[in-house]
Amino acid sequence: MVSCKNLNKAYRGQSGEVRSLDGLDLAVPAGEFLCVRGPSGCGKTTLLLTLGGMLRPTQGTVQINGREIYALSLRERAKFRATTVGFVFQMFHLVPYLTVLENVLAAAGGTNSPAAPHRAETLLAELGLSARLRHRPSELSAGERQRTALARALLNRPQLLLADEPTGNLDPQNAAEVFQHLKQFQRGGGTVVVVTHGATAEGLADRVLEMRAGRFVP
Amino acid sequence: MPLHRLILKELWHRKANGLLSLLAVTATVALFVAFFTTAQASKRETVRVTRDIGFNVRIISRETDMEKFWADGFSDRMMPAAAAQRLADYKNVFFAYNHLVATLQQRFDLQGHRIILAGVSPAITAPDQRNRPMGYSVKPGTIIVGAEVAKRLGLKSGGSLEIAGRNFTVERCLVESGTAEDVTIYGALPDVQRSLNLPGQINEIKAIDCLCLTTDQEPLRRLRTELEKALPEAKVIQLRAIADARARQRQESVNYFNFITPLLLAICAAWVMVLAVQNVRERRVEIGVLRALGYSSGKIAGLFLGKAVLLGLVGAVCGYLLGTALALHFGPAIFKVTAASIQPELSLLLWAGGATPAFAALVSFIPAMLAVTTDPAETLRET
Repeated sequence: MVSCKNLNKAYRGQSGEVRSLDGLDLAVPAGEFLCVRGPSGCGKTTLLLTLGGMLRPTQGTVQINGREIYALSLRERAKFRATTVGFVFQMFHLVPYLTVLENVLAAAGGTNSPAAPHRAETLLAELGLSARLRHRPSELSAGERQRTALARALLNRPQLLLADEPTGNLDPQNAAEVFQHLKQFQRGGGTVVVVTHGATAEGLADRVLEMRAGRFVP
Repeated sequence: MPLHRLILKELWHRKANGLLSLLAVTATVALFVAFFTTAQASKRETVRVTRDIGFNVRIISRETDMEKFWADGFSDRMMPAAAAQRLADYKNVFFAYNHLVATLQQRFDLQGHRIILAGVSPAITAPDQRNRPMGYSVKPGTIIVGAEVAKRLGLKSGGSLEIAGRNFTVERCLVESGTAEDVTIYGALPDVQRSLNLPGQINEIKAIDCLCLTTDQEPLRRLRTELEKALPEAKVIQLRAIADARARQRQESVNYFNFITPLLLAICAAWVMVLAVQNVRERRVEIGVLRALGYSSGKIAGLFLGKAVLLGLVGAVCGYLLGTALALHFGPAIFKVTAASIQPELSLLLWAGGATPAFAALVSFIPAMLAVTTDPAETLRET
């Protein structure tokens, strides 16, 4: 499913060059639940954004389903993201002026699927948000917001779900619920990559990789 | 979700930003509309002021003895009356001269008083001229009498006066002008030609110089060049002080408009652009998320440009209504003489409706590009 070779990403900071990814190799087979763990600043988010086609690496290749995603044009890559990849963020990043349903449907903007409204409502029902369709993000609890973000990520039936600290702002009960939904997505044939600095996902993940200073460590 | 719904929802959510942008566009359009709506009245008022200044060009026979001309106040050499029409018929002459009035002036002894008898023809104006022609319009058989003559001869409006054996009705008596006009009697040109026994003759064509150039811009050289081609037997004298005053009056209103237009546009552009940039900065995360969801650069730019076009359209309509209301309310008090010409100009609504959204989109182009080029990964990594 995902294959990265010699992945490097360097940023030019005020105190010189900062290497966020340092010659990283990674292969994630389809249907795997991978957890990448490590302290803040070790390059986890950079890895996730690079895998999702959002951040071009300084060096190295990223292949998803055998396609080199950074060889695609910006437009092709945007379309590829819309149809193949789903993102979940720690801060939820819901659009504040849209309702729950509209936030989920915003993901259809990249695909223009006519079946999107029905699919959105079904997903929100599965995630226990049927009563919240017309609510704004500001009217939701943290757990509800994250479930809304999860529904948004799942709307276009992605093959790969990338989650950046998805439970970082949730209480244990809501965190467990979100992980159950991620697990359910995996059981449906999806591939999940979760990055976290905690140990929450370890019991559910097929594999856990430890990251330090842009590299995987044993 | 359609782009227009996202735009409308965002506008409703960030009301302050939207309202401030709308206010900038509305205020600018309103000022322009008010300015243009009253411009017609202003233009007429300027024309009235410059007309009151009087003729500023005198065309006389080339053979005129200038010492005698200045001593008498008119030329001693005659020209055929048809010269005025010949000048008017010359191609493009109205770019340089307008309000051509053929005149015949002579000293005349009347009941023991030495007066000036002046015959004036109807003014010949440019074909597109809609304003009232300058100078006196004297009907055949009537006269207009200068203040001093009227006083000495005891004339009143509606009375009669015999000149060279013919009776004329006094159409009106002029107020004191402090010039030779006070001792002048104006009559229709054919009447005066007959009274002076100079049929078909004139000794001057009075005119307005349309170049409206000040002395340093050498209007006289251009006037002479034009006259040389059209009427080689004549020469032109420009009354410099009057011509300068007229040119300055006209140029000042043009300069004022040329100054105010870019200033207004620049203020509005800066205002809208600052708000648009602020809007982009506020929405960095949202842009990042939409990019992550697969929105193309075109769609992201469309969010901002579409918003600008919408605000431009609404601002154009609001601005037109406000500007027209301002012009109709305050205009008549400013332009008292020509107040009646202040009317709503529907064409301005069409102009505003077309130009304002385009202007707003142009001003928002840089912020929109800022949004497109914002690295979504940077934003999402930071938050």
